[in-house]
Amino acid sequence: MVKRIARKELIEMLRDGRFRVLSVAVLAVSLLSLAVGWKHYADVARQHAAAQAATRDQWLHQTKKNPHSAAHYGVYAFKPKSPLAIVDTGVDPYVGVAVWLEAHKQNEFKYRPAQDRTAVGRFGDMTAAETLQVLVPLFIVLMTFSAFAGEREQGTLRQLLSLGVPPRRLALGKAAGIGAALGLVLVPSAVLGVAALMLTSDGGFLSGSLARGALLVAFYLLYFAITIAVCLGVSARARSSRLALVVLLAFWFANSLVASRVVADVASWLHPTPSAVEFQTAMDAELNKPGEMERRLEQRKAELMRQYKVDSVDALPIAFSGVSLQEGENHGDEVFDAHYGRLFDTFDRQNTVYQIAGLAAPMLAIRSVSMGLAGTDFQQHRHFITAAEEYRRLIQRTMNGDIMAHPTTRTSYLAGRELWEKVPEFEYEAPATSWVLGNMRWSIGVLFAWLLVAAAWMSRPLATAML
Amino acid sequence: MLQAIDLSKKYGTQVALDRLNLTVAPGEVFCLLGANGAGKTTTINLFLNFIHPSGGSARINGLDVTERPLETKRFVAYIPEQVMLYRNLTGLENLEYFTALGGHEYPRSAFIELFRQVGLPIGAEDQRVSTYSKGMRQKVGIAIAIAKKADALLLDEPTSGLDPKASNEFSALLKQMSERGVAVLMATHDLFRAKESGSRVGIMKHGRLVATMGTADLGHADLERLYLEHMHD
Repeated sequence: MVKRIARKELIEMLRDGRFRVLSVAVLAVSLLSLAVGWKHYADVARQHAAAQAATRDQWLHQTKKNPHSAAHYGVYAFKPKSPLAIVDTGVDPYVGVAVWLEAHKQNEFKYRPAQDRTAVGRFGDMTAAETLQVLVPLFIVLMTFSAFAGEREQGTLRQLLSLGVPPRRLALGKAAGIGAALGLVLVPSAVLGVAALMLTSDGGFLSGSLARGALLVAFYLLYFAITIAVCLGVSARARSSRLALVVLLAFWFANSLVASRVVADVASWLHPTPSAVEFQTAMDAELNKPGEMERRLEQRKAELMRQYKVDSVDALPIAFSGVSLQEGENHGDEVFDAHYGRLFDTFDRQNTVYQIAGLAAPMLAIRSVSMGLAGTDFQQHRHFITAAEEYRRLIQRTMNGDIMAHPTTRTSYLAGRELWEKVPEFEYEAPATSWVLGNMRWSIGVLFAWLLVAAAWMSRPLATAML
Repeated sequence: MLQAIDLSKKYGTQVALDRLNLTVAPGEVFCLLGANGAGKTTTINLFLNFIHPSGGSARINGLDVTERPLETKRFVAYIPEQVMLYRNLTGLENLEYFTALGGHEYPRSAFIELFRQVGLPIGAEDQRVSTYSKGMRQKVGIAIAIAKKADALLLDEPTSGLDPKASNEFSALLKQMSERGVAVLMATHDLFRAKESGSRVGIMKHGRLVATMGTADLGHADLERLYLEHMHD
């Protein structure tokens, strides 16, 4: 019976001019957004690969110089883009994709596309994720608002219910029919998207991102199922199709357009972050705390003289200048860890608020899950920052260790390629899917809760309420 | 068989149906007559469980419709004043769909035969219902009812707005169904049609069944006189 109802719904929709116009529009926008995302991904991936190779090449081919000069010479670390960033660029345009790794500083990320936007760009990117999160739900609203209310107005609902069709099966059949119609619109885009990913990543997509891609598809289907269930539930209860349309458009507007902005403000209010200037000023104040470096160096001197049983720094078998530089790094690292740690923890708390707010607006939940699986959320950005910072510290330890190992030549000591090669190439391993899903647990739970509640609401309309 | 046992319906203090007792046996056509608001449609809606009774029970084949709502609907077919169909589907697609949801499957040839049986013209089956007249839609409604092979038929002003020829054809089909043992309960304003099609008629007023009579020994004029007498009381 459900299959029969679904088939009839699909046939009716295919013969409906509204469906044809809307589906062409959605298909065009989704293909266009995928094409834009694919081109951006292909360009950035190519540029990053070239730049990463170039920065390594520059590091290895730098002239002979003091290791500390080499530490300042620095290298770039580029955040690798997941192929699924084609679908969802997430926070990347705002947090940047590359960082300059040099002595003494944990630099901020550079190359934020959002910084380079013109005034028009403030309206945001056209991404496949935006299409799926905003446009497709609108399409569902416009195709389902009259599913029950329209049948009630036309009188066909009485006809159906007089046959003894259980309202639950009727609702399920309608949901399946709408889902099938949606599939006709989205499957071509999805197939082309996967083909583009496979071509771009030379088949690497199949090994690296297939599981994440499948999960991404599954969660978007879950989100569409929620939207369909909500729409059918409203249509079954609204007194008229016009009222159903108004209610559903209000829901769509609040869920898709308003909620994210409101919740971002609420999260910032609950867990405020300092301004960039305040953050930098506070960090600089602690880095340059009067007497701190002197105290640390005196302590280190005393420890080393005890260790090597000598009575002056000049008698040490290692270059104290290297120790001093490393001590400066250690001090900086402690300050960076404390300040960035607090800042990032605050971002995490804001993110938790955002995820929990999905209970009120499911789009917030799917947005978090989408960014997470696309590898473009803040947690994965933080994962990369941590890895890049570890690499920076490794460079500093290697350079300073080499200075320490050459006590006689001191500042006149010049190192060459042999030392540069001791620093391994930066290789970043993205976190496992299970780690990502763990971070998304709130949003995933919220999506399943929405599905359960919406499905129960949709499938249990009272027969009398439907008439 | 259709049975109303002390069947009542109130909306607040207003009585829409007052202790209706009625039995429509297999093969019988019972016509409910009465002015607007007399309780005819309320009775039909109660049998369909579209509304819940305030008292008493409506039974189909001995089963209470409120206790066994889905099961009792398997035994009954319903034709409203205006049979509403899906405008973007063809007549045949509508018939197939409603028949399937009523629990029956037939080959296309059987459906086309049904179209001819109810008097729909050749080719009508493949036309979209948006091109159908009211009479054609009513005939599709009858085809749905026939295909359902229901034991009972509930009709709510089914000939309202039909031209005389279509009404006659409708009556003929109704007769065929009653001859097959279908119990028919028809709410109508049409005294002529009630006399022609009905085995018995009942006159309702203010939610009460105030008179019942057989049609066999009743002339058209007698029925009209009796009806008007009750209306003027």
